[in-house]
Amino acid sequence: MNKKIFLKRTLEIIPGGLSWGIIVGLIFLSIKYPVACAIIIITFDFYWIIRTVYLTTLLVMAHNRLFRLRREDWLKRCAVLPKNQGFSELYQLVIFPVYNEGLEVLQPSLSSLSASHYPKDKFIVVIAFEERNIHAQDTALALEKEFSAKFGACLFTFHPDGLPGESRTKGANATWSAKSAKKFIDSRGIAYERVIVSCFDADTCVDPEYFGCLSYHFLTSDKPHQASYQPMPVYNNNIWQAPSFARLVEISSSFCQLIESMRLEKFVTFSSHSMSFKTLVEVDYWPTNMISDDSVIYWKGYLHYNGDYRVVPLYVTVSMDVAYSSNIWKTILVQYKQKRRWAWGVENFPFVVDGFIKNKHISMFHKLRRSFHLLESHVTWAVWAFILVVIGYLPILFGGAFFSSMTIAYNLPKITGLLFQFTLLTSLTWIFLSWTILPPRPKGVSWIKNVLLVLEWIFVPFIILIVGSLPALDAQSRLMLAKYMEFNSTLKGDKVL
Amino acid sequence: MSLGIFFIGLPFILSSALGYKFSRHTLKFTKTGLIFIKTQPEGAKIYLEGKLISQRSPASMQDLAPGVYKVALELAQHYPWKGEVDVEAGKVSRLDKIILFPLRPNLVRLNRDQLSSFRIDAQSKLIYYLDQLNRVVYRSDFAANNFEDVASLPQGFTQISGWEISADRKKLFIFNQRQISVIFFDNQGDYGYPDASVFWDYTQEKVINVFWHSDNYHLVVLTDKHVQVVEARGQSKPLNLVELNKEATSAFYDVKEDTLYFNDSQNLYKLELSSNLFLLERLMAQQFQAVKPEQKQNTNE
Repeated sequence: MNKKIFLKRTLEIIPGGLSWGIIVGLIFLSIKYPVACAIIIITFDFYWIIRTVYLTTLLVMAHNRLFRLRREDWLKRCAVLPKNQGFSELYQLVIFPVYNEGLEVLQPSLSSLSASHYPKDKFIVVIAFEERNIHAQDTALALEKEFSAKFGACLFTFHPDGLPGESRTKGANATWSAKSAKKFIDSRGIAYERVIVSCFDADTCVDPEYFGCLSYHFLTSDKPHQASYQPMPVYNNNIWQAPSFARLVEISSSFCQLIESMRLEKFVTFSSHSMSFKTLVEVDYWPTNMISDDSVIYWKGYLHYNGDYRVVPLYVTVSMDVAYSSNIWKTILVQYKQKRRWAWGVENFPFVVDGFIKNKHISMFHKLRRSFHLLESHVTWAVWAFILVVIGYLPILFGGAFFSSMTIAYNLPKITGLLFQFTLLTSLTWIFLSWTILPPRPKGVSWIKNVLLVLEWIFVPFIILIVGSLPALDAQSRLMLAKYMEFNSTLKGDKVL
Repeated sequence: MSLGIFFIGLPFILSSALGYKFSRHTLKFTKTGLIFIKTQPEGAKIYLEGKLISQRSPASMQDLAPGVYKVALELAQHYPWKGEVDVEAGKVSRLDKIILFPLRPNLVRLNRDQLSSFRIDAQSKLIYYLDQLNRVVYRSDFAANNFEDVASLPQGFTQISGWEISADRKKLFIFNQRQISVIFFDNQGDYGYPDASVFWDYTQEKVINVFWHSDNYHLVVLTDKHVQVVEARGQSKPLNLVELNKEATSAFYDVKEDTLYFNDSQNLYKLELSSNLFLLERLMAQQFQAVKPEQKQNTNE
């Protein structure tokens, strides 16, 4: 095994190895040394209480900011910017990579784009199909007929299957289409600096103010090309139709993204995002062989600019579909697979650390800090629910009479109970906030659904284990065993995304 | 800030969980113990060394220096509980099996008339009362309601030494040393049973115990000389299953398995009366001299 492969495999093994080590180690400790295990669990419980309070505070702040800014007329603010800022010369390149989604998914996305409060002639819209999709041509024709006149330009690309060095990933398709768009941009003589590229999931419906907000932040940012721009993802498209379980998971995902937007030192692009086209070309586009292209593109920028690259949060929403299926078990499976795909973002760790090793300009402090944050977030993701829901009770189960007679055995369930009370308290905040981000209840949907939206939060302990830690542990184990994942579409109700 | 709270708070949380108490005067941690008290019924006042510690049990008392503590528990209308508890450092002393008994127990008289003895039918939640003076068997529910007479005892049957209701709740047997009688409950309306009582007299041997077979039709009779079965109908003759050389001193009948266990002064025996009706097994010792299975059916007039 050469050094390069050895390093790659070592870095791939570290996250999964750590997560499994923690879980197995704690189970071993709970049997052999229950007191030591109880001490670790209490430490973790205390850490989790503080973390919950901290994150909920951040969520409230981010939510407040989102509500304060969501009615802002960003286009008006762009219009009053000095002419030399170049708003009038700014173009929006919008790419929708399509896996096998049909018109029922793409039409609402393009309709929302056409309803944007932004000059439509500045839009270059690219619908990026996979060539292997047999319905691609028909879908493209239908969309061309309906939307081509609504934008400055509307391009349809067909990504060939099996290009060298590529996997079947969204990033490969997005990169192919971006290169096609580059030819178009070159043909029109548009400077790359004046183009902002947005890569949206096929079901992304943008807020009308999104592009105004994006342009304003791009034009007023210090070093606008050294930043990615991240809108707040919500899953409102079909939220009234989705079952409780799926809805709850997606609302939690939206909240996690809101929280992350308040922690800029850790903030990484996720799902639909935007960036300078100039930067995209310079960093050689999205990765063509990795599933987590949305976050890897940030790290490519970070490495390219020697650490001087950031994510700017945009407090406007982009709405996507809740992933669900025809019954609860299939929904759990769909959610599980989707969360596993998200958790596959752990592949960023070997990519980033390898990049850090090669990069001599980023300080060791920043390298260690960012690597630690990345590793810690993925390992915590994979183990926290196990520790809270399962392992927390093992010392009492395995400790025997001697452990039961100790003060710590008496205090352990009390502290764990306190943790759940805190979680309940913060859940009330989350329930309230979840109500405020809901779209209006459509006609024909009973008011009982409103009540269910509150009651469904009792499923939280069950959900956190199924879609909290298990998918992450699954993804890390696959990476550890070099069983690499490929991109698969997610079923969202009767649509396939 | 949250990290600061974590690192400052953690030593206190952990030390408290492990039973350590921080003294602000000495600035030292000392290891303490804990008493956990749970009573039945709950809600007792808890006194530790004469001082009221908690208004309601269950409760725990933490941060106690190791040593012996006097604990008193008081609940209105109940006998108080007092005791001493040894508290060890880092350990929990549990007093979680304490029952506080009421000062005036809920003693209720259940029987309607005179009473010689009673039987409880837990399945039907009924109480059967045997009134020898009035020569009647009556019953009620557990709350002493719905009294009704179920059977009249035959005239001349005195000194009842045992009785039992059949599992079908349609009849009972009574016996003394010289007589067994099966009495059918009044108004059963069952065509298969006679209304009149059935008697068996034992002049040559002494009845020690009688049991109902699981079919509610046969009686299993243990005398000083035999183990018998007899059908609960008029004119039926007891069938001697086993002849005994020594008098049985005690017996138990397992109705589920239809098995009789009995012992004499030396051995314990098991007699299965279900499918293998005549199988006798000695459980403790092989002493064939003590017990001889009958070769032919004997009757006992």
